[in-house]
Formats: sequence, structure tokens, C-alpha cells
Amino acid sequence: MLGYIARRLVQMVGVVLISAVATYALLNLAPGGPMTGLRQQQQGRNRITAADIARIRAYYELDLYLPVRFSRWLIGHPRGPITVGGTEWFANTPIGCRQPIEKNVRNEKGKIETKVVGCNENVYLRDLEGRKVSRGILLGDFGASWKLLRDRPVSDLIMSRLPKTIELIGLSTLLSLLLGIPLGIYSAVKQYSRFDYIFTSLAFLGSAMPTFFFGILMILVFSILPKSAGLPYLPPGSASAVREYVVPLIGTIQPDTIADRLMHLVLPVITLTIVSVASWSRFIRASMLEVLRQDYVRTARAKGLKEKLVILKHALRNALIPFVTIVVFSIPSLFGGAIITETIFSWPGMGRLYFLALGDSDFPVAMAILFITAVLTVIATLIRDLVYTLIDPRIRYS
Amino acid sequence: MAAQVDSISLLNDYPKEESPWRLVFRRFRKHKLAMISLGVMLVLFLITLFARQIAPFEVDEITVGNYFLKPGSVQEATGRVHLLGTDNLGRDLFSRLIYAGRISLTVALLSVVISSIIGVTIGAISGYYGGWVDNLLMRIVEFFLTIPSLPILLIISAMLLKNQDAIPIPQFLLELAGKLMLLEVREARQAVLIILVLAGLGWLTSAQLMRGMVLSLRNQTFVEAAKAMGAGGAWIILRHMIPNAMAPIIVDASLNMANYVVAEAALSFLGFGIQEPIPTWGNMLSATQAYMLDMPWLPLIPGLPIFLCSLAFNYIGDGLRDALDPRLKL
Repeated sequence: MLGYIARRLVQMVGVVLISAVATYALLNLAPGGPMTGLRQQQQGRNRITAADIARIRAYYELDLYLPVRFSRWLIGHPRGPITVGGTEWFANTPIGCRQPIEKNVRNEKGKIETKVVGCNENVYLRDLEGRKVSRGILLGDFGASWKLLRDRPVSDLIMSRLPKTIELIGLSTLLSLLLGIPLGIYSAVKQYSRFDYIFTSLAFLGSAMPTFFFGILMILVFSILPKSAGLPYLPPGSASAVREYVVPLIGTIQPDTIADRLMHLVLPVITLTIVSVASWSRFIRASMLEVLRQDYVRTARAKGLKEKLVILKHALRNALIPFVTIVVFSIPSLFGGAIITETIFSWPGMGRLYFLALGDSDFPVAMAILFITAVLTVIATLIRDLVYTLIDPRIRYS
Repeated sequence: MAAQVDSISLLNDYPKEESPWRLVFRRFRKHKLAMISLGVMLVLFLITLFARQIAPFEVDEITVGNYFLKPGSVQEATGRVHLLGTDNLGRDLFSRLIYAGRISLTVALLSVVISSIIGVTIGAISGYYGGWVDNLLMRIVEFFLTIPSLPILLIISAMLLKNQDAIPIPQFLLELAGKLMLLEVREARQAVLIILVLAGLGWLTSAQLMRGMVLSLRNQTFVEAAKAMGAGGAWIILRHMIPNAMAPIIVDASLNMANYVVAEAALSFLGFGIQEPIPTWGNMLSATQAYMLDMPWLPLIPGLPIFLCSLAFNYIGDGLRDALDPRLKL
């Protein structure tokens, strides 16, 4: 078992490294990047000088070669010449280009393209000394944000959003489990009953319903329509109010009190919960039906055990085994948040942060979130496999 | 003479043989909701197929002053009716909805076709040849299936859309896609990119499914017989594996169709898919969000078709599963 875990840990490190390379390549290999907007401002009086461009390129580290940039992002090195016994090594190794020579070339379609044809001035390893650098993402330093909170550490941004996401996802996951499991079991035990029929139809509708449309419907039904009809309503978005507001029949609610935050929590939590209850309970029902057909359940019944005992002790325990996967993989989503739901309800959580980071090309933020999600996913996979061996003696890893 | 009579009477006694597809359709018909869904989808496909003929207005025909007309309003000057009203620019919502449907459904359909082809090919190769190729491919598939798919989908389409012109796409493909979706070649690029993104991440489940089928078929006697007769790997996969794995692939494809309609709508809704002024159900829905305070019916116009398609394809998949193989679990 220990050998198995050790082997898995080595594999996990490999997967994490590969996903780091993939994330980085995806965002940095593409042309464009943070300089695109600036190039268009090059006409007129506000024309930026070559020195400005060089400075901005250095700020975004665009003047370094890609492998050097990647290594600085991943482990925070190289930071300057390597000093061994008083002498500096590799100080004059070129690691980037401060001023690329650009030339307008006519391509085969006759359009004019700007191409980099050479380099006026190299960046050498010694130039890196004194430049700001993170300790590396592997050591938990995600660098500084480019746009959303300029120059502030990405970890600050994440830490300010994470509690909100955990609050939202944690609550809705808990509610979904508490509702989904009993509903699924009851529906499976009473298969073909009227309850089962209604439940499966509703669950089918629920799992076919796109979250974004459902969220908007919820806002319409519980916020906009009752508000215009003068009935008690729920706030449609954000996590807390800015100023006090009056809700009919309930009264005046002060901003940022518990009542206010609860009011804001209701709609997104219900949206997430209903969507996952629909799919989870369908899953439990199917897995329960499968188990109820097994021989050992028939044996348990034949022994004369009470039906309640058969279902809860013999059937449910085995029906829940595949459910472990779903529960374990809510760990990454506890971190990553629910992008669509958070966006619709302007919930200030991680999902919305990721959405904003992508929209604003704040790559350090987007990369940090993706990287942590990948790490958590890999960990969740390991936990799932280990939990399986604990609860199901039929599964063995060697 | 007597023998002949006997054989004829035997033939008459024997029940008439039904072709397998007819049998499937007979069983499919029993699933009422699936039949209704099939009808609804056929109507929707026909409407979008004749989008040019049915839509009363052009996609981006703007009427100055006619902003936010209520459903059913009549243009005073021309007497033409805005069946579903107009949007913030005075564009006819009914016409845009039809054109958007053409795009959304084509994107989903092409994504399903491409992802099924990729998935079936990779799954078949992986399952049939096994070894380290299989191992590597399946590890990759598993990893991608475990990571949350929306962030990946968003980041890839965001990067692709930002660098649209840097990605080489053959001109004839763009023209073909443009014709299919009634778009100009320049606009078709976005739709093609979205199809590539959806199919590029969507083949994973199909590959797993196909691999499983191939593994279970590999040891069947008819495959052994084909091998004994000297058939090569490609022949066996094409002639024996794929036809025998057709049932789950078709069910998977129809369920995927629902997923792709929703995924495309979600991407466009979040602003990382097909962009305005090209209409899709997703970006029309996101545009209505700003005005739903005053016009609460607006989000329903593009939202209901998305839900309807998702539901219909789910029911069709459900019905197909029952019809093709009741034991199948997907």
C-alpha cells in the first residue's frame, strides 16, 4: 500500500508539472498578449517611445525567452548570475531580447505583417539582478496581478474571494447531499410508484436545464416580479448590500448584517442546489436500483431481515460507493467556484474572479486558479482511490 | 410435390422478418416523450433550414426608433409585425432567434459529428491495439475528464478568439461553414473555432465508450473468425467493431447534442463564444440580462429554445437507449 501511494505521488508530481507547462503555454504562446492594446495607441501625440515599450515589456517579462519566463514563474529562478566562490557564472548568457528588430513583411495574401527579424539589444543574465520575481508557483507564490489588482499579489485576490466561494459551494453541496441522497433512495425503493414517476420526471427536467437560464429564471421569479408586485423579494445579485433596503412584510434590512447576507445567499444557493440535486439523486437512484437487484440483498431479505435494515445497511452502503467520486470531486469546485452561477448573481467568489481574469487578460490570476484547480483535482483523484480501498474490500491496489 | 407445399407453409408460419432499424423505430415509438421531442426537433430544424424564407426581417435590420417593441407590435410605416418584439437596437427578435437557431444547431451538430469521429477512432485504436498507446491515451482522457471542464473550455476559446486571425483555417472550410450557418466568411471563423473547441474537448467520453465496446468485442468469436481469415486491424475495426458498437455511439451522440447546445450557449452567454452581432441563443440571452428589470419576458425568448433543445435531445437519447438496447447504461 505504501509503495502504491509513493508511486502515485510521483505520478501526481508529473501530472502537475505537465499541467503547469500546458497552462503556461496556452496563455503565453499565443500572439497578442498584454502589448496588443498599446500598439494601437502609437499614433498621434500620445505616441509611446521605444523606451516605454522596453520598460513595459520588461514589466510583463516579455523581453525574456519563454523557457526563462516559465522557469521564473514556476520556481522563481534564474534571478541573476550564479555566484560560486566569488566568481559569477553565465553572467553574459543572453536570455532575452530588449529591443527586437521588427520589419513589415508582405505575406503571400498581400497583407502587411509585422515580423521579428532580429534583436538590437539582448537581455543578459546579469540584468535580472534586482528585478522583481515571485518565489515560484511551486512554492505557493503566484506572482502579482496584472490588471484586476495591479501589482498586488495574486494570493491576496484569491484569499479575498475564497471564503465567499467556500460559503456558497459548501452550503449548496451540503444541502444537495442532504436532499439528494434520501430522494434518490426513496425513489429507488418505491420504483414505479407515483412519487418515483413525478420525481424522475422533475429530475430529468432539472438535469436538462442549463444553469445560466435557470439562474435568470430564479432572478425573474423571486426577485424582479415580486419586487414590482410589491411582495417580499430576494436581492438578485452580489453578496451583500451597499445601503439599507426595505423588503415588504419583512422590514428594513441594514447592509452587511447576517440577515442581509442570508438574503443574498438564498438565490445562488438554491440554484446550485437544485441543479446538483437533480443529477445526484438520479445517480443515487440508478446505483441503488442496481444494488437492490443483487443476490446479497435477496439473501438478506430471505433471512427475514426488516426491510429498513436491508435497505439502509445492506443496500445503501454499497450504493454509495460510486457516489464517493462525486463527493470527492467537489473539493476542486469548492476552490474553483461555480463560474456561471457566480457570474449571474455577481457573487464575489473564485468562479467570477476567474471569469474576470480571463476577460481582462490578467494571466497570472487565471494561471494561478487553473494551476491550483489541477493540483486539487489530482489530490482528489488519489483520495478517491484510497477511499475506495477503505470502503470496498473488493478493490485492492498493489 | 408434397415437400414443396410443406416448405411454403413453413414460410407462412415463420413470422415476417423485420429489419433491425424498423425494430428500433417500433420500440422508439413507445417512448412518447422521445417521439414528441423528435417531432419538435424536426420542426426546429426545418424552421432553421428555411431561415431565409421564414424570417420576416433581416438578421441585422435596424429600425430607428422601434426599440424594445412588445411582442406582436406592428410597424406603423410598413405594417410588418414583430412577432416577438424588438431588442435594444430595434432588431426583430423573432428573425434573430431563427438565424441564431441555425447557428446554434449547426455548431452543435458539427461538433457532435467531429467529436464522435475523433472519439470512435481513438477509442477503437486504443482498445484494439492496447499496450502503452492505450495506457497513455486513457490516462490523458481520464485526467481531462476529472478536471472541471468549463474553466478549460473558457480559457481555450478565450485564447482562440483573441487570436482568431493567427489560426490557419482552410478557406473552403470557412466558406462551407458560412453557407451552413448563413454567415459571411469573416464571421464564420468564430463559429468554426467554437466547433473546434467543443469537439476538441468533447471526444473524451466517446473515446472511453468506444474503447470499452472494442474491449468487449475483441474476444468475440466473429472477430476471431475474421482474424483467422487474415483480416487486418483496420478492416476488423471498420467492418466488425464499429457496426457492432453503433448503438451506444448513437445514444452518446444524441445526449452530446444536448450538451453541445448548452455548452455553446454557455460560452456565448459568458462572452467567450460567438460574439455579437452574430446572433446565437447564448449571446441573445446575455444581452437581455441588462433589460430584464423592465421587460421580464425578454430572457424567455432566447432561453426557452435552449432549454427545449437540451430537453428534447435528452429525451431522444433516452428513447434511443431504450430502443437500441434496454440493458445499455450510459
